[in-house]
Amino acid sequence: MEFRQSVYDNAKQITDGCMGYEEAFCTAACPMHTDVKKYIRQIGEGNVEGAMETIREKLFLPNTLGRICAHPCEAACRRESEFGQPLSVAALKRYAAEKADEKTSWDTTTGEDTGKSVAVIGAGPAGAQAAIDLRKAGHRAVIYDKLNVVGGMMRVGIPEYRLPREVIDFEYSYLEDLGVEFKMGVEIGKDITFTDLRAQHDAVIVANGAHKGGVPPVKGKEAQGVTNACDFLKEVSLTRQSETAGKRIAVVGGGDVAMDCARSAWRIGAEEVSLLTLESFDELPASKEEIHESMEEDVRFLNSWGTDEIIADETGRVQTIRLKKVLSVFDENGKFAPQFGEETMEIEADTVIFATGQQVEDVTGGLIEQKGGGRYVTNPETLATSEDDVFVAGDASGGYIVVEAMALGKKAAKSADRFLNQQELEEGRNFKYEYSFVTNLDVPLPKGTENLPRQSGNHRAAEERKHDFRPYDLGYTDEQAKQEASRCLQCECKLCMEECLMMNDYGECPQDIFGQFLQDGEIEPIVPYSCNVCGGCTHVCPNDYPIGETFMAMRKDFILHNDGKSPMEGHKAIEMHQKLGFSKVFTTKVKGGK
Amino acid sequence: MTASKKGFMPGCSLPSYTPEGVQKTMEYLKEIYPDLGGVQKCCGKGTKALGQEEKFKERFDGLQQDMDDIGIDTMIVACQNCYKTINETSETTKAESLWTLLPKIGLPEEVRGKAKDSDVIFAVHDSCSTRYEREMQDGIRWILRELGYRVEESENSFENARCCGFGGMIVPANPDLANRVMQRRADDFESDYVVVYCAACRASLSKVGKKAFHILDLLWGPVVHRDDDAPEDVLSKPAQAWINRYKSKRVVKKVVKA
Ligand SMILES: Cc1cc2nc3c(=O)[nH]c(=O)nc-3n(C[C@H](O)[C@H](O)[C@H](O)COP(=O)(O)OP(=O)(O)OC[C@H]3O[C@@H](n4cnc5c(N)ncnc54)[C@H](O)[C@@H]3O)c2cc1C
Ligand code: SF4
Ligand code: SF4
Ligand code: SF4
Repeated sequence: MEFRQSVYDNAKQITDGCMGYEEAFCTAACPMHTDVKKYIRQIGEGNVEGAMETIREKLFLPNTLGRICAHPCEAACRRESEFGQPLSVAALKRYAAEKADEKTSWDTTTGEDTGKSVAVIGAGPAGAQAAIDLRKAGHRAVIYDKLNVVGGMMRVGIPEYRLPREVIDFEYSYLEDLGVEFKMGVEIGKDITFTDLRAQHDAVIVANGAHKGGVPPVKGKEAQGVTNACDFLKEVSLTRQSETAGKRIAVVGGGDVAMDCARSAWRIGAEEVSLLTLESFDELPASKEEIHESMEEDVRFLNSWGTDEIIADETGRVQTIRLKKVLSVFDENGKFAPQFGEETMEIEADTVIFATGQQVEDVTGGLIEQKGGGRYVTNPETLATSEDDVFVAGDASGGYIVVEAMALGKKAAKSADRFLNQQELEEGRNFKYEYSFVTNLDVPLPKGTENLPRQSGNHRAAEERKHDFRPYDLGYTDEQAKQEASRCLQCECKLCMEECLMMNDYGECPQDIFGQFLQDGEIEPIVPYSCNVCGGCTHVCPNDYPIGETFMAMRKDFILHNDGKSPMEGHKAIEMHQKLGFSKVFTTKVKGGK
Repeated sequence: MTASKKGFMPGCSLPSYTPEGVQKTMEYLKEIYPDLGGVQKCCGKGTKALGQEEKFKERFDGLQQDMDDIGIDTMIVACQNCYKTINETSETTKAESLWTLLPKIGLPEEVRGKAKDSDVIFAVHDSCSTRYEREMQDGIRWILRELGYRVEESENSFENARCCGFGGMIVPANPDLANRVMQRRADDFESDYVVVYCAACRASLSKVGKKAFHILDLLWGPVVHRDDDAPEDVLSKPAQAWINRYKSKRVVKKVVKA
């Protein structure tokens, strides 16, 4: 049956624009699209097992991420944009993992064996996620790592007091369950050439991370006691000490890596820890939490100072650092272009750690082109390279944090799988959903929303924790987790569905009903004839969609196609009723006045 | 200056419910507007709601003819559907709601303050079809206050009004759903006593156990006290309803001609 054009137009407008299925802010921002809203609700309901199941649908590292995820979800959280107090999404994840992550309930099914083999370079989160997905697709996955321990930068960058190593090992045991093979202590480019590796496998995923720390061209940088964050943190991670470091440690840099260095410095026995940043305190790129916790641990912040010269003593060891005052860090276009003034200052130190960025080292023998920061040149949507069988993931391809590395690993694995199955790499893929995106959700705050404070974690006292590598944050109690979960606004639209009973009988949101209509080209008459035409839907809809109006227009077409009669059996009586209401017996007109 | 020529039109559900209410209302209007005319007919909203455009047009044309025949330019109505239908359809006749008119002309002396000792607190069910007619909604509160009743508002008052379940002719099409909509609307109100200003809404809320009064019941009828019952649900009894409609038609004639 044909409907009038306005019916199709409205149905299309509603189907295209309805926010009923639009992701919550948190879930859209998560590169892995963990169903944050759902698991927080489950925790709130006391269903921690259910929450765990929800998390594991997307993440194999729940406890790890619960502790160290840089949580883009929290930056996007509605409670952040409204009140500056986001849900503690990551901490809730850790709570669920500690409470309910049972190895026995892990999904260890793999795809049917394809006979294809993929080499993955790097046992960091990108390589691990790629290997998991490759096994799920039925391919053989072999991870090569030059280290003897798994986890990549999570293991040799992120300090132990933030991420206990047994958590990584436990969560990585999932890969063994899936049959991922590990060749540890094997360095590609040294122990095996990239060419040989390619020859042994049907495809290669390069996920070697960014492990080359550098020292900027500062005068005196050759002095003993000068090092970089990567080398320092790696040594501390593997040995809980540092051959290079002395007792008065200065860290250069204002990001999270610098905070890790400074806080690690205490833990290997430093007596004085300073942090030298170009940025002013308010401009520091590190997270608020890390800054706060570093200050609690008495790290001395020297903000707006640049390193002018490192002066060594007679033995060649660092003795003094001369600093010059920073006037501004960024130019008017927001580009990094520090300007210095005349003022200088000297501080005493025996160690300088530069935490000023990490670079990607080449493992391909120059085969794949690199750009800024050593990152490989890839097609950003597919992570394919100039070589058909080579894909890049993680920091090596452009990520900066663990959960991004995972999403990039997933992406690369998907492309590799398509390549191995001789499928087109791009066709039919929804690239938007393969990474973070900004949701189109735009709804008023739920009625009665209050600004409730975020539950802080249970941190050990700074004076105690700064001397050991045990976790500094003890995590939430049951009570705190529930309390925190109850702050979640469960962001969604579906406002019309709260208002309208009838639509709930036919779908989850108008997108279902009108989308189905457009797809089928027809609709059961009972649907439009169940509408009260009350306007409640349009009244609450942030987009004012003409839902009732469209049902009404459909009715008109049903009548036109049914000899002027309603298709609903029950309406016979109404038609009679109406007829009587216009009959002579029951009507009159009387002119007033003279 | 040409004074507007006013008429009164009870519509269909109101005259089927209360010929007495129609009579008293018209008598009072007639005191104020001695030249008051009257039309008894349905506005055609039901036909329109079914989607019968042609038939609706035909029927409304008939109503227009009636209004024109008796020289009406402003039709006073006591039903939100009549109000909307006429204003949306007629190019020459304007519908004026009784609920905005009464605050302007005032209530008869004898009813003012009559309920000031009533212990009932009324919730107000606003009609969804006129959710954005704030003046009308305020008029109802004004009448209640003038009578002396106390009023309780709910989250779903005024523009957040919800359907009583009767709208869109869904009762015969999907009775189970209609019942759920009625119940949901009833649950919006804390008070058992609800005042409505549409006779069909009254029937809906009565069906699910609310003590629902039409504002005209309160205006012209006895003062309501706690534990008093609401009038019976006449609209659910077709024979009774049609007799009432017939009576109302006679009322219209009688009052105008008086
Ligand atoms: C100090 C520090 C702190 C950080 N803190 C956080 C944080 O709190 N939260 C967060 O989300 N992110 C954090 N990050 C970033 C995060 O660690 C990385 O984004 C993430 O680990 C990148 O994952 P990846 O798999 O791409 O690489 P990596 O984790 O770096 O893993 C790469 C692996 O490849 C191996 N490899 C390298 N070259 C070869 C070779 N030639 N042959 C064999 N194997 C090789 C390496 O040994 C390593 O195991 C931090 C980074 C640093 C440096
Ligand atoms: S309030 Fe809850 S659902 Fe909304 S963005 Fe924050 S965590 Fe997600
Ligand atoms: S107009 Fe129809 S679709 Fe909209 S809320 Fe009312 S009954 Fe539901
Ligand atoms: S209110 Fe309903 S129709 Fe409007 S955007 Fe939200 S879900 Fe879609």
